[in-house]
Amino acid sequence: MSIALRGVRKTYGRTTALDGLELEVHEGEFFCLLGPSGAGKTTTLKTVAGLEQPDSGTVELDGTDMTGVEPYDRGVAMCFESYALYPHRSAYDNLASPLRSPRHRLPAAEARDRIGAIAELLGISGLLDRPVGQLSNGQRQRIALGRVLVRPARAFLLDEPLSHLDAKLRQSMRAELKAIGAVQHTTTLYVTHDSVEALALGDRIGVIRDGRIVQTGTREEIWYRPYDTEVARAFGRPRINLLPGTITEGGGFRSADGGGAPWSRGAKTSGEVELPLGAEASPGTDVLVGVRPRDLALEREGHGTDGRRPVLTGTVYVTEVLGRAVEVTVRLGGQHVSLVAPRAEATHLRPDDPVRLTVRPENLLLFEADRPERPGRRIETSTR
Amino acid sequence: MTRKSRLSEREPGSKPWLGWLADTALILYFVFALFPVAWMLILSLKPADQLFSTYFSFTPTLDSYRTVLGDSEGIPFVRFFVNSLVVSLGAVALSLVVGLPAAYASARWRFKGSENLMFTLLSFRFAPELTVIIPLFVLYQKLGLFDTYVGMVWVLQLVTLPLIVWIMRSYFADLTPELEQAALLDGYTRKQAFFRVALPLVKPGIAAVSLLAFIFAWNNFVFPLILTSSRAQTVTVGALSFLGGDRPKYNLTAAAALVSVVPPLLLALTIQRYLVRGLSFGAVKS
Repeated sequence: MSIALRGVRKTYGRTTALDGLELEVHEGEFFCLLGPSGAGKTTTLKTVAGLEQPDSGTVELDGTDMTGVEPYDRGVAMCFESYALYPHRSAYDNLASPLRSPRHRLPAAEARDRIGAIAELLGISGLLDRPVGQLSNGQRQRIALGRVLVRPARAFLLDEPLSHLDAKLRQSMRAELKAIGAVQHTTTLYVTHDSVEALALGDRIGVIRDGRIVQTGTREEIWYRPYDTEVARAFGRPRINLLPGTITEGGGFRSADGGGAPWSRGAKTSGEVELPLGAEASPGTDVLVGVRPRDLALEREGHGTDGRRPVLTGTVYVTEVLGRAVEVTVRLGGQHVSLVAPRAEATHLRPDDPVRLTVRPENLLLFEADRPERPGRRIETSTR
Repeated sequence: MTRKSRLSEREPGSKPWLGWLADTALILYFVFALFPVAWMLILSLKPADQLFSTYFSFTPTLDSYRTVLGDSEGIPFVRFFVNSLVVSLGAVALSLVVGLPAAYASARWRFKGSENLMFTLLSFRFAPELTVIIPLFVLYQKLGLFDTYVGMVWVLQLVTLPLIVWIMRSYFADLTPELEQAALLDGYTRKQAFFRVALPLVKPGIAAVSLLAFIFAWNNFVFPLILTSSRAQTVTVGALSFLGGDRPKYNLTAAAALVSVVPPLLLALTIQRYLVRGLSFGAVKS
């Protein structure tokens, strides 16, 4: 089933939860809605489910306006962030609840088989006799997910279904979730605040902020062409480096640090630095140049560069070992940038060691400078 | 050794005599609070001729109870007792049937005038019954409700309904609406979500509030005093009949009063288990 929200507004008293939200989820798609808490993610799901009525705008399921259609007539299943398990019943009865309802009723024996299969899938077979009050949060979360998967649905609405699992379980459940046949074939709208989860799961991702969709796209689109600095910051750990500067006459970039700028061209040392970006912006515009930590490389001693890659010179500020890689924070003039380097290249680094960093021009992102009223938007460049 | 460890359990700086003081104060209050009951019990066990003796010794007898429950003296006490049961249980039952949906609705939805409606309901509780009793008397006479069960059950709604609606409203408000929302998405209708999900979860509250409402209805004095005469009269008013006549029969009144304490007491004991849960239910977030 396809899901569409058109200009949906929803306010609670004086707070605006959804501010003209536009969203389109295609048939069979796994769509991740990513945003910070309070962005309107849960309200979006509840509006689709029919649990909240929009003040204006419409929700369409399979192209049909759902205004006035009760939740039980919409054919969607929803997993609540609070689990919303019935505390007075056992885990089994919670899973059986949809299959005993007038809408999805199954004969008891069939229901038992179905529940058994789902419980097996989610690793909760041993818990079925327990009252849900005795279960841990992670177990409850899986029961809640089971209650959604156990019944036929035209779309799944999942509100942070993995948030309370411990890291290891979350990772394996993430993989399993996508492998579940029902999930593969059914339109799924998945809400999360975890960008890693969104990148791992989503066929497409929608970034929501202050009740509006900021950007939708595939993970590549979101990663390589983020709409603005906020979206760029939301994806990738360590976070993207954003260095302030201005646009030059030739559409390039000059760092804000003036004389002591760490940027240089080719193998030369520091000086006035210009990065040829072919920016579509007028000279003198305040901008931020973005480069992801994994796109920066340490230049090894004795190796010449090919002359095309910009080189940054700076000193080591701090290093932090992340398993097989090392996060190196480098001081460049007045700025700090972080990069992730293989352990072998970075273990010998000590604070204040001089280092030279290279980056492929196509990995540079250019943004308007952040303003108080909104984050800086991305500016098109000709280098990518 | 044990002495030492006991001492160390005490909070630093606390003085042992404070504990003794608190215990003594509690015992004094206990005696103070239970004295009327004990006095009534003694009175009810005294034979009629020793009623006014000021010294403590007397021959205990159950004659008073026999007289009261045997309907002698021309006062149908058993009937009053049954009337009280019928009227109080009826009032609570009706209030539950009407009040639970009302409480649920007011907890879940704000509609035009909902707060005014709730306040009006509450105002029945703090307005003195005496302010409406005379118009009610006239109305009841004209409508033929005077001295009837229906009339009593109806008028007692002023006592039981606000209590049930207001207390149950907070119980429903404590329940996250997501439980019913989950039921809606499981394929249940709103009515089924109420009966299958919301209602079972507030059972402890229903038990607690029913008991309270029953006690208030049972103890009500003014309404049966003015709005009944004999057929629907209740124990609160009926017990006073023993004080009339040529000579007040305090022993019979005491026996009648003690007998009339039994139903609320039994009810409280049976649902005690729910009561404790009921009072702490909203405090624990699952």
